[in-house]
Formats: sequence, structure tokens, C-alpha cells
Amino acid sequence: MFWRNRQKKIPTKQERAATIKDLFHDLEVSNDFTTFEHKKETMSCWISFFKTLVDVEYVHRDVLPFIYEGKIQNLKDIKANLPVEDIILTRDAHTVQEKVMQGYIVVQMKKYDSECLVFSAIAIQGRQIDKPEIETSIIGPKEAFVESIDANLNLVRKRVPIPKFHVKEIQIGKISKTRVNMLYIEGIANKENVNTVLQRLNEIEYDHMIDAAVLSQMMGDNQHSPFPQFIDTERPDRVAGTLYEGKIVILVDGSPHALTCPTTIVEFFSAFDDYFLVWHFASAFRLLRLFAVAFSVLSSPMYVAVLTYHYQLIPKDLLQTLISSRSMIPFPPFLEALILELLIELLREAGARLPTKIGQTIGIVGGIVIGTASVQAGLTSNVLLIMVAAAALASFTTPNYLMGTTIRLIRFPFLIAAQLWGIIGIALCFGFFVAHLLKLTSLGRPYIEPIYPLRMTDLKDAFIRLPYGKQSTRPMFLRPQDPGRFNYDRAREKNDIDE
Amino acid sequence: MKTNISEKSQVSPVMTLFLIHAMQVGVGILGFERYISAIAGHDAWMAVITTGISTHIVLWIMYRLLEKSSGGDLIALQQELFGKYIGWGLNFLVLIYFLSFVLTILRTYIEVIQVWIFPEFSVWALGFIILLLAHSFVIGGFRTVTGICFLSFIYGAPLFIVKYFPLQYANFSNLMPIMEQSPLAILKATKVMTLSFLGFGLFMLYYPFIKRPKQSKKWAHFGLLTTTYTYLVTALVSYVYFSQGQLKHTIWSTLSLWKIVSFPVFERFEYVGITIWLFVVLPNICLGIWAVTRGAKLLFSVRQKIIIPTVLIILFISNGLFQNRIQVDTLNSLISTVGFYFLYVYIPFIFIYQCVLLKVRKPS
Repeated sequence: MFWRNRQKKIPTKQERAATIKDLFHDLEVSNDFTTFEHKKETMSCWISFFKTLVDVEYVHRDVLPFIYEGKIQNLKDIKANLPVEDIILTRDAHTVQEKVMQGYIVVQMKKYDSECLVFSAIAIQGRQIDKPEIETSIIGPKEAFVESIDANLNLVRKRVPIPKFHVKEIQIGKISKTRVNMLYIEGIANKENVNTVLQRLNEIEYDHMIDAAVLSQMMGDNQHSPFPQFIDTERPDRVAGTLYEGKIVILVDGSPHALTCPTTIVEFFSAFDDYFLVWHFASAFRLLRLFAVAFSVLSSPMYVAVLTYHYQLIPKDLLQTLISSRSMIPFPPFLEALILELLIELLREAGARLPTKIGQTIGIVGGIVIGTASVQAGLTSNVLLIMVAAAALASFTTPNYLMGTTIRLIRFPFLIAAQLWGIIGIALCFGFFVAHLLKLTSLGRPYIEPIYPLRMTDLKDAFIRLPYGKQSTRPMFLRPQDPGRFNYDRAREKNDIDE
Repeated sequence: MKTNISEKSQVSPVMTLFLIHAMQVGVGILGFERYISAIAGHDAWMAVITTGISTHIVLWIMYRLLEKSSGGDLIALQQELFGKYIGWGLNFLVLIYFLSFVLTILRTYIEVIQVWIFPEFSVWALGFIILLLAHSFVIGGFRTVTGICFLSFIYGAPLFIVKYFPLQYANFSNLMPIMEQSPLAILKATKVMTLSFLGFGLFMLYYPFIKRPKQSKKWAHFGLLTTTYTYLVTALVSYVYFSQGQLKHTIWSTLSLWKIVSFPVFERFEYVGITIWLFVVLPNICLGIWAVTRGAKLLFSVRQKIIIPTVLIILFISNGLFQNRIQVDTLNSLISTVGFYFLYVYIPFIFIYQCVLLKVRKPS
């Protein structure tokens, strides 16, 4: 558990230096720490910084000339003269440590003097804002988050230009002190949800925080659930859209993904593309994806169940095809299906681990060679090969990667259940998942919401997406403070024919 | 005695419909036609309607009883009316009845699986796995149990559409002449028919878990109406498809009707049907176990988390002890009779008793 552990208290070491002198002794060990004395007739001062964290060009061009100027006598003069807005005069070793690690410059009158002037000269280094790579779309915006939290916030703020859009910063990680931002729109987002997120973020006790995916596991409602409880997205437009719905977004410094919460299970199967298409097509594609999920999970278990126990289910004509394709196979259907499923998983895993160029080769080798060769060698049947391949294809239609992984892996319990108790086993296994999903919550809100508890108004944007004219209310499960998007009654006033 | 139930575990009034409907449709509907037509012949479908009407009256009585009691459920009510010791004893008997009701449903469903799909399947293994599944629902509390009641309605709905297939071969003259049987025969068939409608007796235990109980009245009656409709359509389809002579030899008429359903990709729909039927039977088992454990919690003042495994073990062992069809049949008819007297004799009796008691107590 990552939550506060009350049973045992492990004493943590003091990570912070007590005095400035200790701090500088620590810092000087690193080679990229620069400290030098600047001497003039009137005064001398010590300037220190990490050259890897500081924008050196900026320091030489805009900072040092002001310090070298003749009139400067002490730190107060520097503070008054420097054209930098973020400038602190402090004697606190903790502040100095925190700032210098972020890329601030420290100026002291004497070496190891306890009075320090720190000011910002942070070098922003990171990748350029790029096209989304996971949630690609043909139409719609082509920006994706990057690793810098400020750049990400900029992308969101551009789309939500209102003062009610609030950002709360929390530091997570006892050592790393990672910046985590909570974004919401005051007046739309539910206060209870905001407080829940804030409380959970504050309760997390861990030494570091690398990525949003780690955070989502730590603050999820049920950490043992195979289902992700927060949607992670790399699209700022999607984040803005969910903010306007009344959701809460969490950004983690260093992570190109934002978390949106609370969520329901159907949202994991809705791509953001759906909002750019006309509603008929959007709805059709959503239904297609849901069908794909059902097919992907159930096809090979059904094959095993039917061929092991219930061959009566198959009509006579179809049975002939099946039997002729299976007649020379030495394995029982279960083993046959398991081997093929594992092969597909192997291919996927290998493809994910290898660089893109080799990955393609693996795809060809795996797909064609293993597929056709295993059939020709008489190890698997054609029919099963088609089904497993189609199921793998179907599992990749899930827009959310984490949910896609869940969908791919939950077929294995189904497969085992099908072998044990046939079609009844599949139903029983399904029952266990239903029980789990009924109990699951996201931020305390029911996970399978528009279905149970049944909320008719939320079905407008669940399995199908109705036209925007019908989307007059924000999702009810979020309990937004301001539930209406526009006045539906006024929008409905239409003229009669020929008026 | 009054226990406060937090809003978090309560459900909306609309759910009453699904709670009542899900509990009434169980294994009984798979083969009730044979029993009523043995008494009332081809007019037996009328008994379904009269039974439906009678359930509305019983439900009305239940609402009156619960509204006037301070505790809000049957356990509190009986202790209030009959005093601490007699009330406790009666409550205990009621819980035993509900427990055996769950046992009947579970065992009969296993029987169906054994007869139609896996003849060699061990009762112990199937009982174990189904109870394990039920456990994972019950442990989630009343809202989860209501969830499966609601979902069972959705999962079961497609099975209703399948009734279209036998209608293609319907022979509507099977129903003629109408009103051939005497009203007495229909009344007798009504008594047999009530056995399928028994499940809603549990309503008296989960009543306090419904938000705004006044509003739930409408939905509860809708629930009964839905049940009546379901049974009526099922009965009528069976009567127009089977002749009376065939019906005598058909134990599970609904299952036999599924046999003729065929799609291009699969045949023998009864395999699929029985599988989906798991989700129709599951709410019966889950809600039953939940109600029994809830009652036992109030009765023995023990945590429900401790009672649930105990009850499941009792069910598991007693389920395994029924080894053949005759025993299951005996169990069915025994529980049915007890249930009939519970709903149609005992409930009206305590209603009158409560009325009298309130009249007597008022002046003092």
C-alpha cells in the first residue's frame, strides 16, 4: 500500500541539509556544479549554480552584466537592479537547496555565507510539442503533451481562457518533490470530487513520482483491479473537453500524460475522434468498438467451449467445415487456443519492446510465417487462426492503451473457465467480472455508471453519441455544480414548415 | 431496534421494479405450464392473471404493514407485534424459510444444468462455484445485489424475443374454447401458480434500503405487472405451440421451446439459453442470501461479514445432499407450500393483527 502506513514507521533520513555550508559541501561533489568568485574594487561576491540546469547564455547576457555594474555594493543592490521577477533573499538552507536544484542561481557575499540571493535562470530543455502518437486522429487538433508541466499547462490554458479555471499545485515524493497539478473549473466541477482528489494526492506517501501512470495506480479506488480507474490522455484538447464537462485533470511534471477523473467504463471505449465526426458515424464506430471488445474476449473461449463440450450448438453445414479443419490436429481445442493466444501475445510484446524498424520485420515474420506455417504443420486449425487473429485485431481497437491491455489479458481466465465447464464456465467467469465491476468505483463514483445505476440522460454519450443539440446537460455522474450546457427548451423552439 | 441505513447503501425507488421482478422470475418459469394446465387445461393462462392480481393485494398489505411499523422491516415488525421471544422465534423461522427458498432455486438450476448440458457434473462442484460467485456479489452490499437484479433484467430480455420462433408454428385454436373450465378449476390453478410468484416476500426485508419508499410503491406494482406479463406471454406461447397432451409430458416447456430456435451460426439455443439463465437465477440467489444474512445480522447482532460465509457453507452442504430428481421435486413442492401459506395466510393475518393491536393501543 502506498497510503500512509500506520503499522510500522520506518525512520526516514534527513534529506535536507541543515546549514548552507553543509549544503555547499554536498553540491560541490558534483562536477556540473559551478561556483566562482567575482572580484571588483568595490565588492566581491560568489556566484554558484548547476551549469546543466541553468540557461548559461541567459546568465551571461542578461544577469552577469547587472552584477558587474559599478554601483553594486551588496545583495540588496543586486536584488533592486536585476531585471528578474523571481528573486529571493533568504537565509534558509532548505529554500536554497530546493531552488538551486530547480536551476536557480545563488549569489553570496562570502563563500558559504548564510545570506543568499537566489534567482531563476531555468533552462527549459525538452522535446518540442509534437503530434499525438498514441491517440492519433485524422481530423482535429494535432498537439500532444510533452514532459514539461509548464508547457502542458500552457496547452490547456490556451483552450480554457477563463479565470475560473483553477490550478492547484502539490508536491509528491518525499525525495523527488515532483510537481503535480490539479486542474478544474470552479463552478462546474463538483466540490466533493475536488476535495477527494486533493485528499488522495496529499495522502500519497512515496519517495518519488515518475509518471502519471504511477500516480493513477497509487490513487486509484481499488489498486487490485485489472481495470484502470482513470483515463490517461496525451491530448490537450481532450483534457479541455473533460474540464468543461466538470471533470478533474491531474498533470505530473515529467509525464506526457494527463489523468482525467472520475471516469466510467464506457469512456474508455470512446475515442476523442468520436466528437469530430457526425453523430451517426461516431455512434457506429463506438458500437463497433464495443462489439470488438466482446468478440475479442469471448471468441476463443467460445471456440474451446463449443468444440470441447457443445458441438451440438454448431449447425450441420458449419460443423463440416470445422471438423475438416480440425481433423488432423493432435491437440485438444484448449491447448490449441492457448498456444495461439500466447503466440499472439508474444508477437505483441516483442513488437512493443523492439525499435520500430525491427518491429515491422517481427510483424511479418510472426504474422505470416508462424501463422501459415503452424496451420500447414497441422498444429492449429485454420478457423481458430482466423478467430484468434481477428480477436487480436479487435483488442487493438480500444482507444485506451491500459484498457486494451486489460481486454487482451482477461480472455485467459475465460479460456480456462471454458475448458473446465464449457459455456457455463464462460458465464460464471463473466459473472465474476460483473460482480467486480459493480463494486468498482472511480473517485467514489460508480464505474459502470450509465448502465447501473441507470441514468437515462447519461446514455446520450455512452454507447452512442447523440448530436450536440441533444447534449444539453453535462454528465450526471460527475454531479457538476452547473449541470446545463445550454437551454434545451429554447434550442428546441423551431419554426414550422414554410414560416 | 431501528437501524439507520446510510444513503450510500440505499437504492433509488425505480430499482424496486427490478428487485421485485428479478426475484420472481427464476427457475419456476422454465416449466410451470405443466402444473397449471393439469388442473385448468387450456384455460390455465387465466390463472396467471388472477395470480397477478392477488400479488398486488399482498404487496399492498406489505406496504401498509411496513409503513406502520417503526423498524421498517419484517424482523422489527414481528418483534414489535409478538414481543421479544415469540417475535425472535418467528423471525428465525422466516429466515429458515428464505434460506431454503434460496436452496431450492440453486438446486433446481443445478438440476437443469445436469439434465440439459452436463449429466455427469458433480452437484458439489457446481454448487461451490455458483455460491462463490454469489458471494462476490453479496459481499458488495445491497447496491451490488440490486445491480445484478437490474442487469439480469437486461440480460434476460433477449430471451424473451426468442419466443418469436415458436410463434411461427403457433396453433391458436389450442386456446379455444375460452372459459371452458369452471372458475373453481381456475382458482385451484391460481393456488398452484402463486408458487412461481413467491419471491417478492423478500421485499419485507429490503424495504428500508429503498430511498423515498412512498415513490417506490408505483414501481413495485409495475414490477409485479412485468412479472405477470412475462408469465402470461410464456404460458400463452407454450399453449399455442404445444397441445395439452404434449404439455403433460414436457417438464421444462420453455427449454423445449428454445430447441427449435436456430440461427445460421448456431443451433440448439437451449445451451445458450440455460447459460444466460444463470444471470436470471443469480439475483434470486444473491438477493436471498443477502436478505437472510441481513435478517440474521439483526437477529443475532453479528457482523454480516461473518454470517455470509456461514450461510454459504450451510447452503453448500445442504445443496450437495440432494442427489436426485425426486428429492429436488419434494423440496420444491414443500417450499412452495410453505411460501404460499407465508404470503397468503400469514401476511394477511399479521396485517389484521396489527390493525387490531393499533386500535387497542390507541386509547391508552
